[in-house]
Amino acid sequence: MKTVRIWFQKRGAARYISHLDLTHCMARAIHRAKIPLWYTQGFNPRAHMVFALPLPLGIEGRREALDIKIDETQITMEEVRERLSRTLPGTLPVLSVTEPVMKPGKITWASYELVLEPENGDIDLLAQQCSALLSQPEIPVSKHTKSGMIHFDLKPYLAETSFTVEENTVRISAFLPAGSEKNISPYLLTDALEHQQGASFLCEAARTGLYDAERKLFE
Amino acid sequence: MSSGLEKIFLKVQKPARYTGGELNSIVKDKAGVDVRFAFCFPDIYEVGMSHLGMKILYGVLNRMDGVWCERVFAPWVDMEAQLRDHSIPLYALESGDPLSEFDIIGFTLQYELSYSNVLNMLDLAGIPLLAAERKGLEHLVVAGGPCACNPEPLADFVDLFFIGEGEEVDCELVRLYREHKQKGSSKETFLREAAQIPGVYVPSLYKVSYGEDGLISAIEPLDGAPAKVRKRLMLHMDESYFPESFIVPFIEIVHDRAVAEVFRGCIRGCRFCQAGFLYRPLREKSVSVIDKQCRDLCATTGYDEISLSSLSTSDYSKLNELLDQLLTWTKEEKTGISLPSLRVDNFSTEIMDKIRSVRRSGLTFAPEAGTQRLRDVINKNVYEDELMRTVSTAFAGGWNSVKLYFMLGLPTETMEDVAGIAELGQKVVDLYYTNPARRKGKGVSVTLSASGFVPKAFTPFQWEPQDTIETLHEKQQHLVQSVKTKKITCHYHDADTSFMEAVFARGDRRLGPVLLRAHELGCKFDGWNDYFSLKRWRRAFADCGVEPEFYANRRRNFDEILPWDHIDYGVTKDFFRSECERAYAAQVTPNCREACSGCGAACFQGGICYENR
Repeated sequence: MKTVRIWFQKRGAARYISHLDLTHCMARAIHRAKIPLWYTQGFNPRAHMVFALPLPLGIEGRREALDIKIDETQITMEEVRERLSRTLPGTLPVLSVTEPVMKPGKITWASYELVLEPENGDIDLLAQQCSALLSQPEIPVSKHTKSGMIHFDLKPYLAETSFTVEENTVRISAFLPAGSEKNISPYLLTDALEHQQGASFLCEAARTGLYDAERKLFE
Repeated sequence: MSSGLEKIFLKVQKPARYTGGELNSIVKDKAGVDVRFAFCFPDIYEVGMSHLGMKILYGVLNRMDGVWCERVFAPWVDMEAQLRDHSIPLYALESGDPLSEFDIIGFTLQYELSYSNVLNMLDLAGIPLLAAERKGLEHLVVAGGPCACNPEPLADFVDLFFIGEGEEVDCELVRLYREHKQKGSSKETFLREAAQIPGVYVPSLYKVSYGEDGLISAIEPLDGAPAKVRKRLMLHMDESYFPESFIVPFIEIVHDRAVAEVFRGCIRGCRFCQAGFLYRPLREKSVSVIDKQCRDLCATTGYDEISLSSLSTSDYSKLNELLDQLLTWTKEEKTGISLPSLRVDNFSTEIMDKIRSVRRSGLTFAPEAGTQRLRDVINKNVYEDELMRTVSTAFAGGWNSVKLYFMLGLPTETMEDVAGIAELGQKVVDLYYTNPARRKGKGVSVTLSASGFVPKAFTPFQWEPQDTIETLHEKQQHLVQSVKTKKITCHYHDADTSFMEAVFARGDRRLGPVLLRAHELGCKFDGWNDYFSLKRWRRAFADCGVEPEFYANRRRNFDEILPWDHIDYGVTKDFFRSECERAYAAQVTPNCREACSGCGAACFQGGICYENR
């Protein structure tokens, strides 16, 4: 029995699969691929599957990770990649299958890329609104947690968030706390832009990478 | 996906209901397609995607060259609001194209309370609701499914109905449509010819007259339409099309598993059960065919659970053999087998051990009535000692929770029969504690679930009045008060929805304007308790001057012309009448395997009617 890490993307229609549903979706793809999995030895045997970090609904994942336990006497990592690629829908492509280097618990940061298209076509206005938001002295936001709604200032978390204006889009790149300890969703940023600056836009968000506390790429 | 949709997906619950792109969904090149069929399920995605009939017909239609069948579901109210706000018409999931680009718009009618959603979906698509207002051949609205057995309440809206099983007749209709589309025929010409296909009912080709007493005085066919439309059916189930793969949804649906159909029809003849008569005669599949279909489905979907589906799976003549065959590979693949419809009279330890060997699910039985007299009235043919034996077997096998289904308001029911439900529950509880093999330290949980009886067309009770809402409420209260222990949980079904279901189940064409008015008043998702409003429906009836009680609570005479008398499911009206009379005398009728009772289904020349008994 050996743990392997499956690297995949979540894009197009697959962005709208919730985390719970993604676990079912992956389990079925693994079943279709006839990958010999290691099952828990309980009354209801379950396959061991651990996602590095859940992705919020609607956000594209460029480099997501899922750990499974396989019977390495029966299958190689390359065969896992090849078989799973055939059984997953095109919107969930497999990038590679590797041996895990870091534990998912080490994840502390995530990088995001957000492409904003102004709904009224006024790119200059949207750029101004982004600029105004980032120079607000405080950005009060709220989010649901297990212990109820919490309110806090988003500003201190935006030290590494910047934007550039392209032809008719604003591209925001953000480096935000992520993981089980502290997790800041990029939606907090776009919600603030919408509600505190009155901006109106279409947003395509992608999580581009996961990192540990030393900002080393999660591997 | 258009950017307009992208914008609204994040504002609705479960956007994966609306994205399409699921594994095994079929996308064709429009350049090679000349008939586009929108298969519409008038309920939400999770319900519609669980429906086996849709999976079969989706496969059958997409097997045809040049035909592209796509799926459409009723958007939930949050999505509907977004679609309306952004002026986005209802679209099909495979192509994302609006319904207005489709040739044929087909609805499956599984439940009377989904009719308001049929209208709402047409409205969301911007397609005229009334058949008479759709002049051309495009946007032909068709419908099938069990509720099409009494199509009359929808006669104003639907151009034609499929009566019976759709595998063959749907394709014949699509071929005829293609011919007429190429010729540029008028809708009238097409419908006249379509009415000649056996199993196709074109309501505009029948004239219904009413007498001064409000009863139907005549139903006359026009333009050469047949006087009676007989249902279509698949006589040879082994050769009948069954999909090799199911679409695998991204989100969890109601029945999220592979489904094998072990047989069609039912030997039983329970007198309240419409499906038991609509699908006669019983036609089984062979073990090897079912086994192969299960293997294919598990391989193409990745599901790890198979449901052996039918109206009464423990009646399958080779159930043990089938389970043994399936267990040769399902155990290894950690695939569970579930039997959704078990009877108490033939549930054995052997079967229990087999379905339990991989994964355990709850046990559910349906005695339907609380006393033997009433079970005889409805011809359930289940006896208390059988129930006790079965439950005892289950308790000995480690089960400690049992769910029992009943109906309230059955013909001839008294308050003693209602109390009998609670007494039966109590006996099951008592039995648990006398069982020496029960699991120590675990309590028992018995759930009694009681729905309101709805008299349906094509059953021996088609002439019966439904209990009024008030009477049903009294019976519900009496049931709850008769329960004396906390080990029993009691659920009952909302009487208001049962009432409206009864109105439409035996309604006629005069309900068309009511349905239209109800739609205008905002009725939709009537099968969902949070959206059903009897007040709104009553207003629609009042606005149209129609009394719903005429349909739900009136006892019909045996010689009355019924709104569905020109539809023929093989079983004769005389048989229903004699079964009704036997019910009053609490006389049971043997099942089809024991003896033939001459119901009329032998006219189809196949199935159990022609097997050796």
